[in-house]
Amino acid sequence: MSGGGSVAGGAAHRASEGRLGWLFDPKLVTVALASVAVVVVGGLVQVSFGAYSMTVGEAWRAVLDPAVLLDPRWLLNFIVGEGVMRAITGFQGELPELAHETLIVWNIRLPRVLVAAIVGMNLGVSGAIFQAVTRNELASPFILGVSSGAGLMILLTLVVFGGLSAFLPLIAALGGAVAFLIVYAIAWKNGTSPVRLVLAGVIVGTVFNSLQTGLFFFADDIGVVQSAIQWTTGSLTGTDWDQVRMALPWTLAAVALSLAGSRQLNLLLLGEQTAKSLGMSIEKVRFALSGVAVLAAAASIAVAGIVSFVGLIVPHMVRNLVGSDYKRVIVGCLFVGPALMVAADVGARLGMGVITGADSQIPVGIVTGLIGGPYFLYLMRRQQNMGEL
Amino acid sequence: MSTEHVDTTRTETTDGPDGSNGADASAGTPDGSAATDASDLDGEDLVLGYPNAPEPVIDGESIAAEPGAVTALVGPNGSGKSTLLKGLATQISPEDGSVLVDGEDVHSMDTKALARKLGLLSQESTSPNSITVEDLVYHGRYPHRGFFERTTDEDARAVEEAIELAGCGHLRDREVGSLSGGQKQLAWIAMVLAQDTDVLLLDEPTTFLDMHHQMEVMEIIETLRDRSDVTVVVVLHDIEQAARLADRMVALKDGEIRARGAPEEIVTEDLLADVFRVDADVVQTENGPRVTPLRARHED
Repeated sequence: MSGGGSVAGGAAHRASEGRLGWLFDPKLVTVALASVAVVVVGGLVQVSFGAYSMTVGEAWRAVLDPAVLLDPRWLLNFIVGEGVMRAITGFQGELPELAHETLIVWNIRLPRVLVAAIVGMNLGVSGAIFQAVTRNELASPFILGVSSGAGLMILLTLVVFGGLSAFLPLIAALGGAVAFLIVYAIAWKNGTSPVRLVLAGVIVGTVFNSLQTGLFFFADDIGVVQSAIQWTTGSLTGTDWDQVRMALPWTLAAVALSLAGSRQLNLLLLGEQTAKSLGMSIEKVRFALSGVAVLAAAASIAVAGIVSFVGLIVPHMVRNLVGSDYKRVIVGCLFVGPALMVAADVGARLGMGVITGADSQIPVGIVTGLIGGPYFLYLMRRQQNMGEL
Repeated sequence: MSTEHVDTTRTETTDGPDGSNGADASAGTPDGSAATDASDLDGEDLVLGYPNAPEPVIDGESIAAEPGAVTALVGPNGSGKSTLLKGLATQISPEDGSVLVDGEDVHSMDTKALARKLGLLSQESTSPNSITVEDLVYHGRYPHRGFFERTTDEDARAVEEAIELAGCGHLRDREVGSLSGGQKQLAWIAMVLAQDTDVLLLDEPTTFLDMHHQMEVMEIIETLRDRSDVTVVVVLHDIEQAARLADRMVALKDGEIRARGAPEEIVTEDLLADVFRVDADVVQTENGPRVTPLRARHED
């Protein structure tokens, strides 16, 4: 609401803004900085505490240990794996020894924080895209059948095809993608619409969830059931660099594609008719964007299972903070998603220890649900208009 | 310039094989309008319906919009005027017949190329509340931009012109959600103007607006008419408004075109009785015909 003087200055202002000017929106910068702070604090807590506790100072020093940070061989060893590292650097000998703390932090605790951040990014971006594609603010990454397809395949693998459990991450991700295709096929009738897609998602979800629940009956081992629950509620227990390596390339691809597609997402928000009359090939764009969102969701499922609520809340929070421009929403999700996920994982990994003193962990999906419910209660109380269903 | 085309317009109260007439009429136009770059828009033998309805709403009608002029579609509720407009705008794909812009079939055109030629203002438009008017108007430049292209000076110029023509410069930094219905409509009109098309289709742009904003919208259309570089087809509910704005009028009833021609030929007591089923007094004034409806006709 600036004064009359802005009328003449509008065009010039926009031109000088340049290609990346929109990134320096004060609200977006604040959101990003606050989120980074949460990730750093949450990450420090995660690397400090656990079975081998150290002080925050020790943990900090271990994270910033120059023996790793300044040695490209160690860095590559972690990020791309030992084999690739040796191929790139041509180094054949033994890697230099690391301090005990550094080993624990870099081998076990830090990758878990990174996986949490990656999962948060993926779910946030995926949810943001699905909320635009379905034009429904209550859509989540799992609205078009992805979670039920993945869940069914997880149960099938664990209960029926036990021999394939080594490929469980891949199978789960594929199951989600296939379920999405089935949903699309059901919804298709001379094109689709947001409502048809959501209904088809409900249909496929209902059937697959029943089958999934049914399969629990055939699990004869409590270990299998626990493992299945971990996968279907989402857990970061035991994740390490393998998971980072598995998810990172897909995450980078999905993030790049969703940023590239943000203008299309903005146009979808103007409604199908307007988008069409502005020359958008709406079915192609909708399918392509949904595909990107499924890719992001599948990448997160492959490493963490089905983490609920994050993909629903994060875009919602971001939109409330930075407005509805999808360029900003996507960038915001890249920060807020990791913040929420890392913070939730602190609760999942250490919460039980604080509350009961027992050294056990709970699936992170339980914590995100515990955060998500009250957040929506808060929104419901505060907002009159929640958008249309 | 419309006088050059008066001979090509005719009133047809019967729906015979008038499709050929419409097509011939438009085929003969390029000579007179060589100075302008306004486009021809022809619908030929259009059959338009909705997927769930057994009968098509429009069953084999042809319409030719005069280049650079304003053509108004009028008719009672359910007469198919909006359907015809949506058909021309390719929002509905015709079951039969074709829509041609400058002789090219719109369904064979690339969607963005078409959107650079033909713009549509729908009756109901939704947008996120927090988008600013200026950002909304910039969306009108979508068909002019490549996938990764940023906005150019030309985009900025088109947006400026559109905002000025639509008279919503004072609203440009406001959020769309905070505007009144009339202000919103001006913002949406600015968006389709920024699209910079040769053909502009407007679906009831004045309905539900207060008098002031109705006049604002009418003045925008009058400006377009005076510039004669855009072919405008507009659906209007108000027949007096239509007569005042349009160079040509097309009256529909029950999905059939009952009459077409200059406003003074169309707005007659006979036509009002036939198409709108009202007895009315029509008085010609300097501001166009004044219609005073007297009573509804019940003689079905």
